[in-house]
Order: sequence, then C-alpha cells, then structure tokens
Amino acid sequence: MANHATSYSDKFVYHEPGLQHQFEDMKQQEESVSIGMWMFLVQEIMFFGGLFTVYLVFRFRFPMAFSMGSNHLNVIMGFTNTLVLIVSSLTMALTVYFAQRNKRNWQIGMIVLTMLFGLTFLYIKYLEYHEKYVDGLVPVAGWNRKVKLPGTELSAPLPFETGAVAASEQGGEEEKPYNNPRGEFQWREGSKLVSDALAEEKANPNKKVLTEYERAGYLDPTTGLVDEYRFQEKIRSFFWIYFALTGLHALHMIIGLGLMTWLLWQAFKGTFNSEYYSPVEMSGLYWHFVDIVWIFLFPLLYLLGRHLLAGG
Amino acid sequence: MQNAEALNIDHFERPKKNYLNNGTTLKSWLLTKDHKRIAIMYLITVSLFFMTGGIYAATIRLELLTPASDLLNTNTYNKVFTAHGILMIFFFLIPAIPAVLGNFFLPIMIGAKDLALPRINLLSLYIYWLAGGFAIWALLQGGVDTGWTFYVPYSTTFSNTYVLAVGLAVFINGFSSILTGLNFIVTVHTMRAPGMTWFRLPLFVWSHYAVSLVMVLGTPVIAITVLLLALERFAHIGIFDPAIGGDPILFQHMFWFYSHPAVYIMILPGMGVVSELIPNFARKKIFGYEFVAFSSIAIAVFGFLVWGHHLFVSGQSIYAGMVFSFLTMVVAVPSAIKMFNWTATLYKGSISYETPMLYGLGFMGLFFIGGMTGLILGALGLDVHLTDTYFVVAHFHYVMVGGQVIAYLGGLHYWWPKMTGKMYSEFWGRISAMLVFVGFNLTFFPQFILGFMGMPRRYAAYPPEFQVLNIFSTAGASVLGIGLVMPVLYLGHSLLYGRNAGDNPWMLPGLEWRTSSPPPTENFETTPIVTWEAYDFGEDSGLDFEEARRRELAPVI
Repeated sequence: MANHATSYSDKFVYHEPGLQHQFEDMKQQEESVSIGMWMFLVQEIMFFGGLFTVYLVFRFRFPMAFSMGSNHLNVIMGFTNTLVLIVSSLTMALTVYFAQRNKRNWQIGMIVLTMLFGLTFLYIKYLEYHEKYVDGLVPVAGWNRKVKLPGTELSAPLPFETGAVAASEQGGEEEKPYNNPRGEFQWREGSKLVSDALAEEKANPNKKVLTEYERAGYLDPTTGLVDEYRFQEKIRSFFWIYFALTGLHALHMIIGLGLMTWLLWQAFKGTFNSEYYSPVEMSGLYWHFVDIVWIFLFPLLYLLGRHLLAGG
Repeated sequence: MQNAEALNIDHFERPKKNYLNNGTTLKSWLLTKDHKRIAIMYLITVSLFFMTGGIYAATIRLELLTPASDLLNTNTYNKVFTAHGILMIFFFLIPAIPAVLGNFFLPIMIGAKDLALPRINLLSLYIYWLAGGFAIWALLQGGVDTGWTFYVPYSTTFSNTYVLAVGLAVFINGFSSILTGLNFIVTVHTMRAPGMTWFRLPLFVWSHYAVSLVMVLGTPVIAITVLLLALERFAHIGIFDPAIGGDPILFQHMFWFYSHPAVYIMILPGMGVVSELIPNFARKKIFGYEFVAFSSIAIAVFGFLVWGHHLFVSGQSIYAGMVFSFLTMVVAVPSAIKMFNWTATLYKGSISYETPMLYGLGFMGLFFIGGMTGLILGALGLDVHLTDTYFVVAHFHYVMVGGQVIAYLGGLHYWWPKMTGKMYSEFWGRISAMLVFVGFNLTFFPQFILGFMGMPRRYAAYPPEFQVLNIFSTAGASVLGIGLVMPVLYLGHSLLYGRNAGDNPWMLPGLEWRTSSPPPTENFETTPIVTWEAYDFGEDSGLDFEEARRRELAPVI
C-alpha cells in the first residue's frame, strides 16, 4: 500500500485470449463457468420440477382422464422426436470433441447437424400442435380452429363466464362455424372408461376402481353417474399441462438454437481451439439438459397409462 | 497493506483511482462490470423501493389509528397493504443485503478482484430494474388487492385488479435473485484468494453461500407457480382454481415451497452481517466458528422442509400438519445455535458501542422475540387460534424488520466508511439506532397483544376496544419513521462533509479493511495471501493491535 508504484493497471500482465479480467488463469475461469452452468441447470431442474409436480399431482388424482388425454397424443411423432433429440445430443457431444481437437470444419459440420436436428424436432412439434389445433384439443377458449357445428348438441350450457356468449353464438344452426369458445372436445366416447369402472365396482362391491378424487371429479353428485362435462374438464387439465410443459420445453429448444447460431458464427471465425472451448462445452451442457427434459416428458405424457385404454 | 499500517486510523493514502472516480460518465456506470458500482446502483434502487414501501406502511398505520375505515375505503386498503407487502418483500428485503452489501463485500472479503461472472451480475441488476419498473407501472395503473400471497381462487377469478402484471413483475424479479445467488456460489467456490480456505471465510460469506443455495433452489419454483397463475388468469384453465377443476391447496403448497425458504433469504444475510458485527465490536474471535457456519447451511436445508406450517388451517392433512409442526421446531435449533454463539462471543469481550454494534445488539434482541414467537405459531394447536391475526403480523415483522432491516442498517453503517471513504456522524448514528429500536418495539409489540386478543389482519376497520393499542402502534411507527429517515440525512451529509474515514476506521483484521477506502476497481493492489483465521485479533493476523491501541490512546501532540 505504501508502495504502490506498480499498481495493477500499470503492470504488464500476460493475458491469454478469452481470459476475463477477474480471473487469474484459464483454469480458474473454466472452473467458474462450469460451476455457474451447473448451478443454472439446477435452477432449471427446479423450474421444470414445479410443473412436473403439478402434472404428477393431477395424474395421481385423475388417472382415467389423464390416460384418455395421453391417448390422444401422437406416440409415433413423440417417439420420432425422442430419437431426433438423442441423435442431436450425439452430434452436440461430437461438436465439443472436435473443438477440443482443433478440427474447425468438423466442428462446424456438427453444429449444423445439431441445429438441423433441433429444427426437425421443432417442426415435428409444430405438426403435433397443429394436429391438436385441428382436433379442437387446445384447452383455451377461442384458440381452436373453427369447425362446423356437429349435428349433436355439442355443448351443455356453460356454468360460468362465457356461457351466455357461447350459447348465443351457436344458436343451434348447423352450418354456422362454431368457434369452440371453451375448447370443447370433439369426441364423446371418453367417459365410457369411467362408466365401465362404475359397472365393475357395482359387480364387486369390495373393489375400488375409481380414486376418491375421481369419484368427486367425474361423477354427478346427484345421480352418481358420469358427468361428461366434468370428465372433459379433467382432460382439459391434461392438455393444459401438456401444452405448458412441451411449450416451455420448445422455448428452451429455441433458446438453444439461438446459442447454436452464435456458436456457429464463433466456430466459423475459428474462436475455439483446444485451449479455449468452454463456450462450446457450456452450450453442450445446456443442450443435453434440454434433451433430458424431453426424455422425461415423453414417457410421462405419451406412454403412461396407455394400457388403461388398450385399443382406444 | 498487510502490515501494521493497516491499523493506522489516520491512514488514508490512497491510489489516485478508486472505483468511484474510475470513470465518471453515465455509460461508465450503466455498462460497468465492477461489482462495487453495481452494488451502489442496487443500493440506490433498493432504498427508493424501501421508501415507497414505507409510505404505504405509513398509510396503513394512519388508517388503523381509528377503528372505522375512514382514511381509506376497504378496497383501497387492500391495495395498500398488498403494495406494501410486494414492494417490501420482493423488491427490498430479498435483494437488500445480498445485492447491496453481499455484492460489494463478498468478493473483497475473499480477496477476489470481482465476482466470478460480472456480466451476469450486471444482467441481474437490469432484470431487477425491469421487474421493478413493471411493478411500479402496475401499481400506478391501480395496483393489486390479493395480498402479496396471491391466493387462488381470489387472484385467478375474482380480483379485478392487475394481478397479471404484478405476477409477471414477481416472475421477472425472481431471475434477478437466481442470478445473484448463482454468481455468489460460483465466486465462493473458485475466487478465493490464496490461503483463504473454507474455514477462514468470514461468516458473512458462509451465510451468503447458504442464502444463495436457497435462491437458486427455491426461486424457480415460485417463478413457475406465478407463471401458471398468470396463464390461468389469462386463459381460464383449471390448475389452481377449484371452480374449473383445479386445486387451491396445490397453489399454497407451491407458493410456500418458495416463500417459506424466502423468509430465510430475508434473514440469513442479516445473520451474516450480525456474525461480522458481534465478534468485531467485541474484539474477540467468534465462539464456535464451525457451528455458526454450518448452522447457516442447516437453516437453508431445513428451511425447505417447513413450508406446510402455512397451511395448518387450509385443509392440509392433520398428519402432514404434525410433521411440519415438528420440523418447524427443528429449524429453530440452528437459529438458536447462532444466538448462543453470539452471546458467548460477547462474554468477556471488550465491547464498544458504536452505531453498527448498537444495530447488532438490537438485532439479537428483536430476533430473539421474533424467533420465539415463531415457535408459538409453529405449534399446531395454538396456531389455529392465532392464524391470520396481528400476532402473525407482529411475528414476521420482528423477524424481517427487526432482523433483516436492522442488520441491513447495521451493515450499511459498518461498511459505509469502506464504501464511500467518509465517516458519518457517530452521534446522530447512535440516536437513530436508538430511535429505530424503540420505535420498532413500540410499533410491533402491541400487535402481539392485539393478535392474541383476536384482532384479524388485513382489515381496514376493527372494534373500538382495540383502539388504544393501535394508537401505541401508530405512534411507534412515527418514531420508527423518523429513525429511518435520519440515516438518509446524516449519511448523505457525510458524503459531502464527512471526514475521511481512513482505510481501517474500526481497527479490524478482516480482508476488506486491508485495502484502501474506497477500494480500487480491482479491489487490491496485489492479490492478498491469507495467513490468518477469521476474526483473528491476535498476532497471527499480522496486525499489531496492541500498538494500534496505544497509538489511539496517546494524546495528540
């Protein structure tokens, strides 16, 4: 202190390219960035974890409605997307591998492949979303494709809010486009599952097929029979969580693609080499994380409980 | 400056450039990567939010002066206490100590040049500004009347106010504290100076490490909860709203899963500050360093397991209630360990009663009452009587204001000479500390009695028999208000007219006192090498305290 002829700024300090001012050396920087990224991923796990919790809570309460919803998802598309993402994880890992070995062209190639797989995933996801939109499965008022009003009286009087509007808009005319204000589902066979379960319970009085929540959630309290409207409401909950989870995941994919674009530009300029590749590694961690989220989403949303509706 | 010079109270030979005069343009502030400048910008913003929240608090106390709801109508009253809660909790208490004092001193205390991720640090400030602007905008539009807890189905279906906007502000603000916590964790892991081992870290750093864990693990959960709430309000889909198939108890679980740990975000940094004040002003090594350090971690861990005590009367299973009640008692143990260790540190210390120490001792007294009444509320049976009464209000104000705000003020006074290089008026400092302590107790102690007598919270009107105690409370609030305004005046005065503080005005061994005041941009002239334990007033610290004391007592010639 008394002797500060050579203060920090005056001294010549060798700076490796890419080393930021607050670090002593590259090792410290890499360690910091790596811990930072892992903590960020922990944060992401908690973020998705909240939504997964919501899903699991409702899934345990209303297994029948939820498997009914599951069954209306396209397993083939979901499976293809799983494959696409797993392969994209491979190309991402290879990107890091080639960056560490100074192979710029291979690195660029792998980034491009990763991006292509990412885009394929999003395209298939878009196809799936579109299918739900056409089928009237988007659980939000007015967000589905307008369809012709089917012959049957589709919607019972709605018990709250948009009820009045919905009734006046339909007006019973068959030709009028029905804008599906509450996302009424276009299938009717759903609650058969519950009726079967009720019949089974009646046959064996000791056997409980429905959970307590399901009893309260599906059945009309006065008649004790299935209330189609209440049952569909639970399916709507499924689709709502489905869109929230996959939408959040798709948002992460889009952010990942943004990262990849930046990486591509940097790799093109030849920024990364065996000395300095931590941005590639960190983007890789992020990409793998987003993949892993999907690996959990696919069985939870698409596969769980399909046996309840075998053939349905 | 690791020599006897560090204890020379008049030593203020400083390099020409310190962090304050290293660049004076607006751009040099707004695009800075310097943790100290970011902390100063946080300090200003946080103080503005504290003042705004304080004005709302004053309005509440004025309304409660009389039994009838005459100053505000009941709808406005709902908006006012909600605004008070949201501003104070999300925009003052949570960022106050970590983002201001932690940001400024955590790197210096471990001998680093900056936080590990300075750009992320700046980003967190901008996110905080964005969220704050959003919240202020929503409040100016007409505010929100749900209470800071946003309980469904009121918030999703019935409230006619700006729930969506305020919810999004809270959502955005969460990322600011996540990024701050993340940055602290990385910094403590990788940026410690040579010789600064984990068990030589000042306890302030330990408590910030613990609080960062809570921030990183807890905040995302409220982020997703508030996001779902906002989407539900926007698109009417039943996750939380029972009328459309949702579950309101699920909302309460998810809300308190974050918001109870958030209570520890609001107290752990304060405990960190007090763990600095007590040994340093008792001039004695802290008693049971490891226990104090690990009790911070224990509070962070157990803090995640007690959220259910907010749901004792909400229809949660009685067995869950019993478990949560038990765990609530358990979390009192690490807090008690801290209290006992601070007390043991004071024993036979040579205590001096400067302003920061007055705040430190005030914290111990107030936190003791706040903590003990927490046990009363955690008891399953008693809580049924006390839920949603002023007893709860008094309890959490004792912990949050009596804890965090007092500790924040103590820390601010303690480090003010280091942050600004100027010394404030000790006389006015002590007066203000006393006023805050007396005013605080006068405000909130009557509320314990009111609550026990059954006065419910969140009502603009109350039966006339409660008026006397409410007048006491409002009178106390005025004293508290004066006590809180005074620091603004004398600290501001010290910036212009204060005497130069010197590098080590309190004569302490900590690393932050071994650099100049205000510190240079890179914190230390050369990277320090740490060879002493925390709070070492002996010879190992490399500082000659005996000599310094003699020099201080010697008559000025």
